[in-house]
Amino acid sequence: MVNYLVRRIFTSILVLFGVSVLVFSVIHLVPGDVTMAILGRQKVSPEKVAELRAQLGLNDPLYVQYGRYLNKALHGDLGVSIRNYLPVSKSIAEQMPSTFALAMSALALALSIGGILGLLAALRHGTWFDTLVMGLSVSGLSIPTFWMGLLLILLFSVKLGLFPSISNGSSPAELFLPALTLGLPEAAVVARMVRASMLDVLSKEYIITARAKGLPERLVILKHALRNALIPVVTFVGLQMAYLLGGATIVETMFARQGIGRLAVQSIFNRDYPMVQGVVLVTATIYVLINTLTDITYVFLNPKIRLK
Amino acid sequence: MISELSPALIQSNSPGIRVLKQILRNRSAQMGGILLLILIFFSYAAPLFTGKDPNKTEPSLALKPPSLEFPMGTDGIGRDNFTRFLYGGRLSLRVGLIGITIGALIGITLGLISGYFGGWLDSFVSWFTDVLMAFPDILLALAIIAILGPGITNAMLAIGIAFVPSFMRLTRSSVLSLREMTYIEAARSLGSSDARILIRHILPNSIRTLLVLITLGIGSSILAGAALNFLGLGAQPPTPEWGAMLNAGMKFVRQAWWLTVFPGAGIFLAVLSINLIGDAISDAVAGTSITPDKKQHPFTAQ
Repeated sequence: MVNYLVRRIFTSILVLFGVSVLVFSVIHLVPGDVTMAILGRQKVSPEKVAELRAQLGLNDPLYVQYGRYLNKALHGDLGVSIRNYLPVSKSIAEQMPSTFALAMSALALALSIGGILGLLAALRHGTWFDTLVMGLSVSGLSIPTFWMGLLLILLFSVKLGLFPSISNGSSPAELFLPALTLGLPEAAVVARMVRASMLDVLSKEYIITARAKGLPERLVILKHALRNALIPVVTFVGLQMAYLLGGATIVETMFARQGIGRLAVQSIFNRDYPMVQGVVLVTATIYVLINTLTDITYVFLNPKIRLK
Repeated sequence: MISELSPALIQSNSPGIRVLKQILRNRSAQMGGILLLILIFFSYAAPLFTGKDPNKTEPSLALKPPSLEFPMGTDGIGRDNFTRFLYGGRLSLRVGLIGITIGALIGITLGLISGYFGGWLDSFVSWFTDVLMAFPDILLALAIIAILGPGITNAMLAIGIAFVPSFMRLTRSSVLSLREMTYIEAARSLGSSDARILIRHILPNSIRTLLVLITLGIGSSILAGAALNFLGLGAQPPTPEWGAMLNAGMKFVRQAWWLTVFPGAGIFLAVLSINLIGDAISDAVAGTSITPDKKQHPFTAQ
């Protein structure tokens, strides 16, 4: 167990090291001279170019640059935006709560909608309801997020006038459409998983035992079946943070919401490399940490693995 | 049927043909295949269905609802939405195909080398793919576009690179199990070179597993391409492309539903058709070899 923990954490550190190298390289991989890419076609004095090079720290050898980058990043300093001269970490910290609220509400919607549909489909296995849920789930996997978002806007905002189509806040009404857009494809996956996992568990012998000893069906389902069926779903939630963080880019752009996804897209347009690097580094780090935690939680939750 | 007994057919009954027959008999594969052929036909034979120029603007005809003259209405600067829809399909489908080809070529090569030779090379390649996988979904593509700059070619390249880890992992795990087979040992003792063993013996035996990832990957790749175009990071105006058209139509969501509904439906149907075929292939090869985990490749639920 301790052995596993140490190995798992070591792997994550190696991966994070690679992530930092890759993110650091962004500015050096830009074809041609990066200062030209930033300044574009505007005519600038050589002094201005030199100043920019110094600001980006491009005059030192690569390993010195990387060492400085890593050292600063570990102390929470991700550099300064070359467009608005604000600290990158400050901008990210400002945008993060909005993305977090969006991702969490989307996850909550996905788990509740997908969980209930999947559970009911498993309990009504083979009926028309089961077929309907599975059909919806396949379509949910093929629908582009951004198109579904637009259809939701057409329905709830334009036709019914219930929710705003541009929503910057974190009140339930403002979060509803963006979270639903991000959460519905996720719900499709959750429904499939819960259904499959529930069907598997329901055929187990301990369920027959529970029924044979006369437990009410409600208790059999909730206490014995569902609890075990949810184990794979836990791992899934961790893995899906990647999707939620990536999908936030599209949903935030679409609803003109604040957030780090939209910040990333805008910074790419602005060629604001320090900002892009910061957002990518922070997001990837969060993702690696969540994955590590998920793996560890999974081992703790699952006695079959723990005892090995 | 008597025709099935003809010698030619009996001879052609290799495992590959059997799998192909099973796929062709599958109802969802038939539906998906027909749908896909229709989409390809309509976009590549566009001039047969419309005489208009996809980029010709006519401000006086802006935002007209669908009619006989304009079956899908007109956009904000009076271009015919139907014509743009037809031509736009070409690019959307091509982005998917080229993206996945780049990803498969690089990923399979890396997986073959890393799984076959093992050692420090394997450790390095595996670590590198782990690092690439640390970037959530579309973020890796975004980072690559940040480096190369927006544009349709760069978008294809970005999608391709984002697919490398899944292909590399799947190929590698397949090579690891094949490497120890007796027939590989036999080939080696006969003096076959490593390159020959990899290309003639190992690759053909891994192809079945890879086929599922390739097909489902085309769908994901179309989605990812449309997403990048939707964000404005791919095809630049006035190029017609479904994702880019959605982006432009979004501004008029209150006045002109046709500008968002049709291009989106195009993407949805293209991805759905490929997912239907992919599921059938996955069923057909299931049991005969490892099928790839759907969660392994990026952009699954975009």
